[in-house]
Amino acid sequence: MKAVGARLPRYDGVGHATGRTAFVDDIRAHGTLWAKALRSPHDYATITRLDTTAAENMPGVRAVITHADVPLLEYGHLSALGIPADEPLLAKDEVRYKGQPIALVAAETTEQAADAVAAIEVDFAPKTPLFDVRKAFDADVSQPHHWGTVYPHFEESMDRRQIRKGSIEKAFDDADKIISGVYRPAAIEQMPIETQVCLSVPEPDGRFTIYSCTQALYFSMGVVAAHMQIPLNRLKFVGGTVGGGFGGKVDTATETVCTLLAQRSGRPVKWRWTREEEFLCSSTRAPWHMEIIDAVTDDGWILGRKMLTLHDAGAYARFSPYGVTKHSFHHTGAYTIPNLHFDGYVVFTNRVPTTAMRGYGVTSVSFAVESHMSRVAEELGIDPFELRLKNANRIGDTSPNGIAYTDPSTVDVLHAISEATGNELAPGYAAASRQRRAGEWLPDHLLAQISDTEVH
Amino acid sequence: MKITLNGADAQVDSPPLTPLLHVLREELGVLSAKAGCENGGCGACTVLIDGSPRRACLTAAIAADGSEVTTVEGLGTPEALSPVQKAFVHFCAAQCGFCTPGMVIAATAYLDKGGSGSREEITEALAGHVCRCTGYLKIVDAVAAAREGDFDMSVAAESPHTQVRA
Amino acid sequence: MAATTAVLFPCSPGEAIEAFGDGDGVRILAGGTLLVPELHLRGGAPEQVVALSGAGLDFVKEPCDGEIMARVGAMTPVDRLCTQPAPIGPAARGIGDGEIRAAATLGGNLCAPAGFGDLQAPLLALDASARSAGSDRERTESLEDFLAARDGRLLLEVSYVAPLEMGGGMHLRTTTDGRRVFDDSHYSRPAAGAFASLGRPHAHHFTVMSVSGVRTVGGEVRLAAVGVGPVGVRLRAAEALAHDPEAAGAAAAEEVNPSDDPLASGWYRRRTLPSLVRRVLSELEVGS
Ligand SMILES: Cc1cc2nc3c(=O)[nH]c(=O)nc-3n(C[C@H](O)[C@H](O)[C@H](O)COP(=O)(O)OP(=O)(O)OC[C@H]3O[C@@H](n4cnc5c(N)ncnc54)[C@H](O)[C@@H]3O)c2cc1C
Ligand code: FES
Ligand code: FES
Repeated sequence: MKAVGARLPRYDGVGHATGRTAFVDDIRAHGTLWAKALRSPHDYATITRLDTTAAENMPGVRAVITHADVPLLEYGHLSALGIPADEPLLAKDEVRYKGQPIALVAAETTEQAADAVAAIEVDFAPKTPLFDVRKAFDADVSQPHHWGTVYPHFEESMDRRQIRKGSIEKAFDDADKIISGVYRPAAIEQMPIETQVCLSVPEPDGRFTIYSCTQALYFSMGVVAAHMQIPLNRLKFVGGTVGGGFGGKVDTATETVCTLLAQRSGRPVKWRWTREEEFLCSSTRAPWHMEIIDAVTDDGWILGRKMLTLHDAGAYARFSPYGVTKHSFHHTGAYTIPNLHFDGYVVFTNRVPTTAMRGYGVTSVSFAVESHMSRVAEELGIDPFELRLKNANRIGDTSPNGIAYTDPSTVDVLHAISEATGNELAPGYAAASRQRRAGEWLPDHLLAQISDTEVH
Repeated sequence: MKITLNGADAQVDSPPLTPLLHVLREELGVLSAKAGCENGGCGACTVLIDGSPRRACLTAAIAADGSEVTTVEGLGTPEALSPVQKAFVHFCAAQCGFCTPGMVIAATAYLDKGGSGSREEITEALAGHVCRCTGYLKIVDAVAAAREGDFDMSVAAESPHTQVRA
Repeated sequence: MAATTAVLFPCSPGEAIEAFGDGDGVRILAGGTLLVPELHLRGGAPEQVVALSGAGLDFVKEPCDGEIMARVGAMTPVDRLCTQPAPIGPAARGIGDGEIRAAATLGGNLCAPAGFGDLQAPLLALDASARSAGSDRERTESLEDFLAARDGRLLLEVSYVAPLEMGGGMHLRTTTDGRRVFDDSHYSRPAAGAFASLGRPHAHHFTVMSVSGVRTVGGEVRLAAVGVGPVGVRLRAAEALAHDPEAAGAAAAEEVNPSDDPLASGWYRRRTLPSLVRRVLSELEVGS
């Protein structure tokens, strides 16, 4: 155990500081072609014409691909879990977000690739786009997704991720006050300094070596193999040197098209997004709409919570159902609430598809829960630390999905924050601990939720 | 066109308005300067031109004609790190490392010009450089300490920003 | 960028004017901070590029004794303007970061597309003149007129009555009754300058909007803003009410027509402009 507690120098520090670290864009393969994408200029439109003939005959062009060249056009990010796919690798009849790729060109230089993209003949019939999750439920909006307003495949055929725990009716009957709030964090771009980039090199033995900045190497490998309908053993992924990801490099954004272009041209192909593409077309953290209604007592116990979450998936589902599932497990934050009624929907809009970012699904709910805790404290006229310490998870308490906490740190964290901010806690609260609930910390309403199994 | 690149003569044949960054990476194969935005906004491409830090993505090749261009490859090698490079390693001032070459160049230029090493000055000197990973504190620590020269490179520095609770 | 673009390197202002001709198909390369990425990323190949780096347009001439005009060449890098008195100095210091300011030039800034051009307002407030060349050869006009029709022009220099802080001047004349008084021109000299901008969280945030102001020895107040239209504008209605900062702020919001861009909405700009005007007027010590 030489490493634990030791201050070891980073193994990659010297490479970074001397500029020797080879990122994907620094890998050189002889004869590399550059890829450029034709992307949708519309948020939502029908593609009425797509003709790449002129582009194919442009100088320096070695391959052009559209939806027609993808062996398995639709493969979802959760397909490996048996969940149906909804997103075409390249848009076919319709574009559902601005920047959606429609065709890709590989050419000798970036300029030639860009010129060829400009020469692709494409026409659109624009439709009215939808940008706000809440508005998706209004009667008069046009639904951008063929599945309708929301993702319909939770537990195979449910339209929501739902949690029911205890008796929400009783909690609301017993409450002294009902306190509600709506929380709407906006989308955030992960913005790694290295933009999305991939280099796919066709090898003489028929395999492809794929240098990728992905954060999810084996996942990407499965996605490429599925779209291309080739066995996994024909793909050799080289990853590990990521110029920042923060969740934004979980989706397989570049590897499949690069490899298709490499296959078609017989040449290595590099696709490096411009910063503009990164901002406009790369997946972001989702915007969320969260409504919380709490049943509380005058002395600061939260008896029950009703919560509605609308998660903006953007135009396609990608990992959103997973994000909402994680979100649902955390919808009480670091606090124990025995009676719960939670509905979380993955809603489709015409925004760029959303994905992971630092605490996928959880940061949104933490923001909502902590904001709401402060609101409850204010409306009850209770010290916000005391409200939190009362309801904070203890050993043996159970999470919304029924997992017993074995070592929750909420009480200790609150003590540390209190100390760091110079806050005086009343003696009883200063003496609170993470140990199993007993005495004043164990009111009747919390008895039933406690896990029977002896945890420590 | 000709430049002196990290001390050696280099012939440049790209069209005259090609960004120097493109010349370095695609024509001359010098890869430490990174294309983070190609728009002047991130600082990852920064190189020294006649000793002053400049964004290589905004500099036309022709504007560098006859100049001395230094990239981080020219500051030190893995075997013989420059003081700033040593400090970056010792203070863990690089996480993903993509911004690091530009940061090291700007920090070197700042110290070479006799910067006092105050945090305000360092922040100003690195203002054009975006780092998405580190949160900057360790980068500023490294630059402030770089003039001290030698560090025990077998360990990482204690961070003054981490309060370890008993 | 096409390899066919010819790049010319004039060695004097005269050669630059010659090379630029009537400007047809010609782009100017100054510091290149906007032009180089534009040509690289957006393509488009000008027939000819005139690079001004050696054209003798990099100068700041402060007035000598007896003179009152300051002259600044179009190729002067922005970082050399950082030490100028307000409003130029603070406006220059707010542009980009040290590396950008070392490369960016005054001329490029005044000719930059909408969204940039932070130095336009301070120079408008200084009532600067612009000397430029183009199809009708050389002409000198107010910067305001130049900005209104700058396409197809080569900017050579700007000049303005130098703030007192810059020295020079001191023309005295003797009146008929034998008193020694300042020449009239003295009263046109800026005695105070001020600059206020919407906060910049960090170096990568372009200035949303800023207001520059000048008060002359004779008491004239001039105000100008950038970020309320495609180019900088004089705030004449506000100037007329300068003695009443509240009214001046309100008048400024009425006389501009800001639009939405990625930095801020037109609504927000109109709402915040009055407070910048008030701040500038209070710094100029005019009004109650
Ligand atoms: C990271 C970053 C931050 C920036 N921040 C700011 C900011 O805060 N405020 C701001 O105002 N700007 C900002 N800019 C924009 C730009 O750098 C400045 O406006 C700069 O002054 C432009 O000057 P330049 O010499 O680099 O122009 P160039 O790029 O060389 O030219 C710009 C345009 O003006 C034309 N031009 C140049 N000189 C002349 C001339 N003498 N006569 C006629 N036309 C001419 C060119 O043909 C071109 O169209 C920023 C840019 C970057 C990359
Ligand atoms: S690549 Fe030059 S500043 Fe970002
Ligand atoms: S270390 Fe990753 S961007 Fe700075």
